[in-house]
Amino acid sequence: MNILVLVKQVPDPEALVEIAASSKGLNIEPRFAVNLFDEFALEEALRIREKQGGKVKAISLGGPKAIEALRTAIAMGADEAVLIEDETLAASDGYNVALALSKAIEKETFDIVLAGRQAIDADRGEVPQMVAQFLGLPHVGVVVKLDISDGKALAESSLEGAKEVVEVALPAVFTAQKGLNEPRVPLITGVMKAMKVQIPKVAVEDLGLAKDMVAPENSKTKIVGYLPPKKRPAVQLIPGEAREAAAEAARILIDVERVI
Amino acid sequence: MDFAFTEEQQFFKKIITDTVDRMVVPKAREIDEKDEFPWELWKDFTKLGYLGLRYPEEIGGMNADPVTAMIFYEQIARGSVGFAQSVIMNILMGTYFVYRFGSQAIRERCLFPAMKGEKVATMCFTEDQSGSDLSATRTTAVKDGSEWVINGTKMWITNGPVADFATVLATTDLSLGAKGLNFFLVEKGTPGFSPGQVLDKLGCRGTVTGELVFDNVRIPEENLLGAELNKGIEYLGEILDEVRVMTGAMAMGIAQAAYDEGLEYARKRIAFGKPIGNYQLIRAKFADMATEMEASRLLIYSAAWKMKERLPSRIEAAMAKMFATETCCKVVDEVTRIWGANAFANEYNPQRHFRDARFLLYGGGTHEILKDFMGRMLIGK
Repeated sequence: MNILVLVKQVPDPEALVEIAASSKGLNIEPRFAVNLFDEFALEEALRIREKQGGKVKAISLGGPKAIEALRTAIAMGADEAVLIEDETLAASDGYNVALALSKAIEKETFDIVLAGRQAIDADRGEVPQMVAQFLGLPHVGVVVKLDISDGKALAESSLEGAKEVVEVALPAVFTAQKGLNEPRVPLITGVMKAMKVQIPKVAVEDLGLAKDMVAPENSKTKIVGYLPPKKRPAVQLIPGEAREAAAEAARILIDVERVI
Repeated sequence: MDFAFTEEQQFFKKIITDTVDRMVVPKAREIDEKDEFPWELWKDFTKLGYLGLRYPEEIGGMNADPVTAMIFYEQIARGSVGFAQSVIMNILMGTYFVYRFGSQAIRERCLFPAMKGEKVATMCFTEDQSGSDLSATRTTAVKDGSEWVINGTKMWITNGPVADFATVLATTDLSLGAKGLNFFLVEKGTPGFSPGQVLDKLGCRGTVTGELVFDNVRIPEENLLGAELNKGIEYLGEILDEVRVMTGAMAMGIAQAAYDEGLEYARKRIAFGKPIGNYQLIRAKFADMATEMEASRLLIYSAAWKMKERLPSRIEAAMAKMFATETCCKVVDEVTRIWGANAFANEYNPQRHFRDARFLLYGGGTHEILKDFMGRMLIGK
C-alpha cells in the first residue's frame, strides 16, 4: 500500500499574528509547526503501512523552511519526502497549490492520498478536494475512521449528530479530521534519520508547469485585505435572581444578538 | 563567527520542544505536587530513546554532540526540572563511568538497560560533610582479596531511593585526599547496600533524592570503574564541564518556562484599564530578563561548542553554570513580581519555578566554590 501524505508547514498556533499596516497582508512571528490535521493524516498513513506494508511518502510545497515539516514526517516514520520548493507559489491560492501538488502526485505510484481536512493558517479546507479533482480521483473528507482492505476503503466521517460511512475504490483522496487517531511522538531513531536525511527538492518547472502560470498574480482568488475582528464589547452583567437573569440572558441571545 | 545552530540542531530543538510540550509540560504540576518518581511518564518518555543521547550509535545511542545535548537538557528542564534531573542522571553522570570503564558484562547488565529506561542509574558524590569539596569524601573502599569492600553513607543522591545501580565515589586512602578517590559500581540487591532517608525538598520535586548506605558492601574487582587506581578525579574531569554547562542549560529551561508564564500574564492582566505589559516598569523587566537570558545562552552554547571542538572549556563551563543559574534566579523572582500576589498561590506555576531555581545554585558546584576556582585559574595559585 503506497500512501502519499500532503504536509503543510504553518505558523505555530502560538505565533503572534498581526495585520500589516497596509491591511493587504499579515505579519506573522516566524515560528512554525506541522499543520495539526496533516499530523493526523500522517499518523493514519503510518498505521496503514504498519498493518499492510508499503511506503509512506510526504509531499510539501513551500519555501526552504518547509523542509522542517518534512523532517518531522520522516521523524514520525515516513519513508520518503519531497519538497516542491517555491516560496511564491506557496503564496498563491488553493487552486494553484492543488494544481502543482497534483502534478507532483501524478509522478508517483500510489493507492492513497491523505491530507489534513484544512490547514490551520488560512483555514480554507480546499486543496485536497481540488487535488482529487485534478487527478480525477474520488475524495472522502473529514474522515474519523478509515479501514482499508481488498483495494477499497471504508471511511467514516462525522456529520452533525450522525456518522456517514462511505465505501470507495482505491486510489482515492482522504482528508483527516481530529479524532481519527493520536499522532505519535517521534522516536529518537526517527529523529536521527530525519536529521541526516537529504530531502529532494523539485521546482514547479520540473512538474511541467510554467512558473508564472501558478504565480500569485495568476491566482483565481485574490485576497483584497484583512480586517481585524470586531472588538469584544464589555461584559454585560445581568442583575436579579437566577431564574429571571437566565430568562433575560436567553432573550438577549435570541432577540438582540441573534446567535441562537 | 557563526552563532547559529546547524539545520539539524534546529530541527532537533523543534522536535524535543514539541515532545516536551506534549509529554512533560502537562505533567509538571502533578510531578511537583506528588513528589514521587513519575514512573508512568518515565516509561512513556524513555521508550523514545533519548537516554542514549550521548552514547555511540553502535550501542544504540544518538551520538549527540555537546551543543545538541545542551538543547535537550534545556528543553527537558523547561518541561519539568523534577523529571529532567532523573532523566539527565541516566543520560550523563549515572552511566558515564559504566560506559567508559565497564566490562562488556557490566555494560549489558547496567548501561544498555539504563539507556532504554529499564534501569535507573545514579551517581554518588555528596556526603553529609562533603559536597563540592570532594577531597573530604569519607566513604572508603578497601581491597580484600579479589573484592572491594565499600563503607560509608552518601547524601543528596538524585534517583538514589529508586536506583538500580550507583556509581559511587570512594577513597582507597583517607590520607590522600582527592588523590585517593575512585569510582565503583554498586548494584541494587548487593548485601549491605540500602537506601536511607528520602529528602523532602523545597523544589525539583519528583526527582527522588536521598541517602544511600553502604555497610560492608562487597563488590567484585571489575566494579572498579577506572583504568588505573586512584585516578577518579582525573576521570571526573572528562564530564565535569558538561555537568556544569548542563546545569546552566537546565537553569535556562526553568528561566524560559517562568519567562513564558510572565509574558502571557503581562499581555492579559489588566490594571488601570490596560494590560500590565503596557507599563514601562513591566517592560523594563522583560528587557532585562531577555538580555540576561540571551547572554546566558551565549555562554552555555559557546562553552558547549568548545567542548565539541575539544578546546579548553573549564573556566567557560564554570562561567556558564554560574551566570545562567544566577540569571535563572533573577528571572523566576521577576516573574513572581509580574504575577503579583497570584505568584504566591500554589495553583499557579511561578511559585514552582521560584522553588526549583534554588537547587541549581548548589547542584553542579556552589557559586562560592566556582568563583574561588575561577579566581585561582585567572590569577594563579
